[in-house]
Amino acid sequence: MFRLIAADLRRQWLGAAAVALLIVLATALGVVVTLQERALRLGSARAAAAFDVVIGAPGSETQLVLSSVFLQAAPLPLLPGRVLAALLDDPKVAWAAPVGFGDFAGPYPIVGTTQSLVDGIGGLGAGSAFAKLGEAVVGAHVDRAIGETIQPMHGESHWPASLHHGVTYRVVGRLRPTGTPWDRAVLVPIEAVWRLHAHGANADEHDGRAAPGRAADAAPRPPRFEVPIDPAALTAPGAPGLPAIVVKPRTIADAYKLRRQWRTERSLAVFPGEVLTRLYGTLGDARTVLSLVAWGAQGLVLAAVLLVVVLHVLQRRRQIGALRAFGARREIIVLLVWLEAFAILAAGVVAGFAVGYGAARLLSAGLTATSGVALPVAFAGEDAASLAVLLAVGAVAAALPALLAYRQSPAAALRS
Amino acid sequence: MPALRVSELTMRFAGLDRPALAIPALTLDAGSQVAITGPSGSGKTTLLNLLTGLERASGGSVCWSATDLTALGESARDRWRAAHVGLVMQDFHLLPGLSAIDNVLLPQRLARLRLPQATRTEAERLLRRVGLERIEQTVDTLSRGQMQRVAVARALVAGPGIVVADEPTASLDADAGAAVADLLSGLARDTGATLIVASHDPLFVGRLDRVLRLEAGRIVQP
Repeated sequence: MFRLIAADLRRQWLGAAAVALLIVLATALGVVVTLQERALRLGSARAAAAFDVVIGAPGSETQLVLSSVFLQAAPLPLLPGRVLAALLDDPKVAWAAPVGFGDFAGPYPIVGTTQSLVDGIGGLGAGSAFAKLGEAVVGAHVDRAIGETIQPMHGESHWPASLHHGVTYRVVGRLRPTGTPWDRAVLVPIEAVWRLHAHGANADEHDGRAAPGRAADAAPRPPRFEVPIDPAALTAPGAPGLPAIVVKPRTIADAYKLRRQWRTERSLAVFPGEVLTRLYGTLGDARTVLSLVAWGAQGLVLAAVLLVVVLHVLQRRRQIGALRAFGARREIIVLLVWLEAFAILAAGVVAGFAVGYGAARLLSAGLTATSGVALPVAFAGEDAASLAVLLAVGAVAAALPALLAYRQSPAAALRS
Repeated sequence: MPALRVSELTMRFAGLDRPALAIPALTLDAGSQVAITGPSGSGKTTLLNLLTGLERASGGSVCWSATDLTALGESARDRWRAAHVGLVMQDFHLLPGLSAIDNVLLPQRLARLRLPQATRTEAERLLRRVGLERIEQTVDTLSRGQMQRVAVARALVAGPGIVVADEPTASLDADAGAAVADLLSGLARDTGATLIVASHDPLFVGRLDRVLRLEAGRIVQP
């Protein structure tokens, strides 16, 4: 019996392959949508995992999260310097670290912060922590070796940019891989960023990312960077403003208290996880639309495949009629037709899952390379369910041509 | 071997006033060999379809020994035909891509899933008997005469008591046709099977015991 199916498929291999390919593509489309959306959700949730509470000046919550967690450069309003001092002094806070943006080293954002954040997002994988203002710790995927120097620039490399003349950072350490955009960041002491941008003089005019060129003009003499970090500078009464502060509360209850405490007219406190969930809500709608499109494509392909198989059965009417005339049992012929149709369908669906997985991996790899967010592509239990549903639909659909073969009268088939 | 007894057999098709076939009575002894002749459209194929249970009669009965085919449902007729009838048709109906031996065995495989070794041995014997040496050769490369000989082996492999052939030589040249006619009557005689051949071909008239002539659905020359 299987030999008969094999002989038939061999004879029609081009048609069978074309039909299977259609099914592969339709299935892969659906699988990619599901896997990619899941990867995006898991990846961004993991990227935000180290950031329990983020505090910034009043403005857009989403932008605050995008800038602080995902390092998307955008001008943020500044918090007064005393907020950080208050947080560092708060017993509800395990650690709090400033996040200051402004410069780039090639494609890599330079982030001014403190050792607390370095430890908070995974710690050092090699080298040592920054101890002087002119020292930097690079993310795991930054293409700079320990010992190399980095020249900070205003703006990304492909923008008209200006160098901070005479100022360089020396790489002293490298972070462990985190699977977050911080893998592509250069971390330097926040004091260095302040000094470079001479915040003390004109803090009110500055936004989170200093206007290109201006700071360089304002500071014709390079600031002194060969001095140790001064922890007291963070809590000094005249400390400059900050675009964002990452806070690690001691307990969950503390987290809620902190958020309430800092949600004021002068400041904004958010749980990045919550903001992301809201974003997924929007993303979820998009996924529903994409899923419907994918399901629609699968339905269309199924209909096309059925048409082909039914035509094939009609074409073989005489053959099927003759087999019955010669003594074949019609139940077995039906089984044969069903098996052949189902074999093509099932092979297409299974291969479609494999192709979809591969495509999602490729897509994720491409996105990770540009964003730094690791996007884990993985099948979940629900995928097994949708595989089962697809196979079940295929099994039922394959029964249609089989039924057609069952109902044909052999005498009528032979007459045609 | 079953004997045939037909009484008051009629076959009507929708839209036709007159029955396409009307046979008040016909009997055949077990093991007899009969040729059915007559012009195209005289009802030869319809008669064969009724005698083999491929179609159900509009009226009357077709009894092979104790079995009345007109009383059986479609699946039961299929089972009866598989057990008792070997068929040979004008267009061989061999499956391309399969070897000669696989073509002979295919209906048996599709009748019971597991093939007894004895059936395979019988298939090999029959293929040699009809003159095919390379039984593993795919049928696509055979001549038309060889194809029909494979079909004859297929009809006989299950040891049927009734062998029915519908224009078995119509698409063959004279020599190949004569070989097939000889094989059919010789093999049926070997096993004692009843042989019924519908054919225009005068080849069979001399070879078989009896000739029935059909015209417009009636037997005119019993």
